Amino acid sequence: MSIRGFFEKHSHHFHGQGRLAPLKPLYEAVENFMLSPLSRTKSAPHVRDPLDVKRYMSMVIIGLLPAALAGWYFFGLRVLAMIAVSYAIGGAIEVAFAVVRKEEINEGFLVTGLLFPMILPPTLPLWMVALGVAFGVLVGKELFGGTGRNLFNPALIGRCFLAIAYPTAMASYLDPVKAWPGRLFQWAGSALSDATTNPTPLSQAKRVIAGGGELTPISDLLWGSVSGSVGETSAILLIVGGVFLLLTRVGNYRTTVSMLGAFAILESILHLADPGRFVGPLWHLLAGGMLLGAFFMATDPVTGPVTGGGKWVYGALIGVSAALIRNLTGYVEGVMFAILLGNIFAPVIDEVFIRRRLAALARQDVIAPERGQPPGQQGNVWFEGKANEEAAQQ
Amino acid sequence: MAANPIACASCGSGLCGGKGRETFYQGTWANNPISIQVLGICSALAVTTTLANSLIMGLALIFVTGMSNLIISLLRATIPRKVRMIAEVAVIATFVILFDQLLKAFYFSMSERLGPYVGLIITNCIVMGRAEAFALTNPPLLSVVDGLANGIGYAFVLAIIGTFRELVGDGKILGFTVLSEGWYVKNQLMILAPGAFIALGFLIAAFNYINARGQKAEAKS
Repeated sequence: MSIRGFFEKHSHHFHGQGRLAPLKPLYEAVENFMLSPLSRTKSAPHVRDPLDVKRYMSMVIIGLLPAALAGWYFFGLRVLAMIAVSYAIGGAIEVAFAVVRKEEINEGFLVTGLLFPMILPPTLPLWMVALGVAFGVLVGKELFGGTGRNLFNPALIGRCFLAIAYPTAMASYLDPVKAWPGRLFQWAGSALSDATTNPTPLSQAKRVIAGGGELTPISDLLWGSVSGSVGETSAILLIVGGVFLLLTRVGNYRTTVSMLGAFAILESILHLADPGRFVGPLWHLLAGGMLLGAFFMATDPVTGPVTGGGKWVYGALIGVSAALIRNLTGYVEGVMFAILLGNIFAPVIDEVFIRRRLAALARQDVIAPERGQPPGQQGNVWFEGKANEEAAQQ
Repeated sequence: MAANPIACASCGSGLCGGKGRETFYQGTWANNPISIQVLGICSALAVTTTLANSLIMGLALIFVTGMSNLIISLLRATIPRKVRMIAEVAVIATFVILFDQLLKAFYFSMSERLGPYVGLIITNCIVMGRAEAFALTNPPLLSVVDGLANGIGYAFVLAIIGTFRELVGDGKILGFTVLSEGWYVKNQLMILAPGAFIALGFLIAAFNYINARGQKAEAKS
């Protein structure tokens, strides 16, 4: 049943003499959140499913919520404060740009605002959260023209900025409380006031390889009772949210599958080559930010390629880079750098696939032969095509 | 009675043919080598980790562009067209080496800190560009004004970036602690090259904004 169908089916409860009529405002708020608020025609012609930016973003937030709640459970009330700060500061910048540019306020920030605290250490001082989200939104998105035009994932740009600017604070992680009720009602101190530096599973793995201690068990990685960034610890909840995204087709399965697949294959090869130096592929898939990155960040439709084949290449590029950075460099985690690297290559990957497709179409006489030639020889077909369309309209 | 030649940059008459003021304005602001022409970026990014470094580097460039413009302008009728670039480089290199040696003799620690970047002024596009674009076709005094103006334009942009990077990245200005380590957490990005790129980008954006506002005001009046 489609989401729209669900709302249509239950809407009569909230309207007129329905049982839940007093709750109509709540119903409308939820409907607005999930669907386009525009009133629609009751007779033909119908647009069957007006998927817009807002609903797209709402789906990602719903997918992220389980992991975010797990972050609250494991790392305390501070997580909620981090999310609030991220939304407040990032939202303010978004609104300021919308006002100056005289544009509508875009929903695009809803995801960045939640995604950003998810990839930060839970002890990070709140002013750093504010600075990071401000940098991410300003430099990572608005300078490129706002939502839909950014080259890089704004949340990752913000994190990258913080990781380079404040390496000490960005490496202080909190050990999660394992017994119920976790830290649901606790406020954990900030990284600056009390230095609580616990090894994350990945940094622990580097120590184990160097010859000391024990590897984090896979069961802990699944549940999430390990130290790490706020929203990256609970593998099960990330998979639940991620599969939800893939099923609603908000996240494209090609990117996720090829990213996780390429990563797992390379990890397996490394593990088989030298089990003493490289931990197994399943462990690596569940540890660190791999799942969060594969389900929620690499699938970003703005910063990834648009062509289907391009998505396979893009995912594989990220997966391979992440495995290489994790295992063969001084860095403990490589998913952030890998995705940013993928972002850089996304337009080039698209270009290659579009050219191949055009050449194939030209060979089949679907389009004029000269449009299948590389742009250097006949100008950029896309810009020319756009110009022709515009000329035709006028 | 001719006007005092020394005052020509401001009086609009005399040896520079009334172009002194305009040339100075072009070099320092309207056609600023860094913020408008985006030349000499390599050294601007590399040496601006502290204000002191930026100031000395700016001074070096003012000296080199001013002097090389003077000599090349004096020789402009003598230099054969085909070998003009080699001749220009020879003149520029002379002054760069002169400054480098002075720095080594009187301020050795700074010479160490700037490393190869003083020597690299020889290949700095600004110096070469002024010699090619201005000194070869203009009289000596006006060329000196142009060289100094471009050097000053470079120096003041460097000083702004240097101040910002030293303050944000290290909490200091000219080596004096301004932001105490008790409460200020150093932003290490600003010490690294990417931080310089970002700072320069914002500075150019600010200059463009000021210029755009100026043009708007002109269009209105």
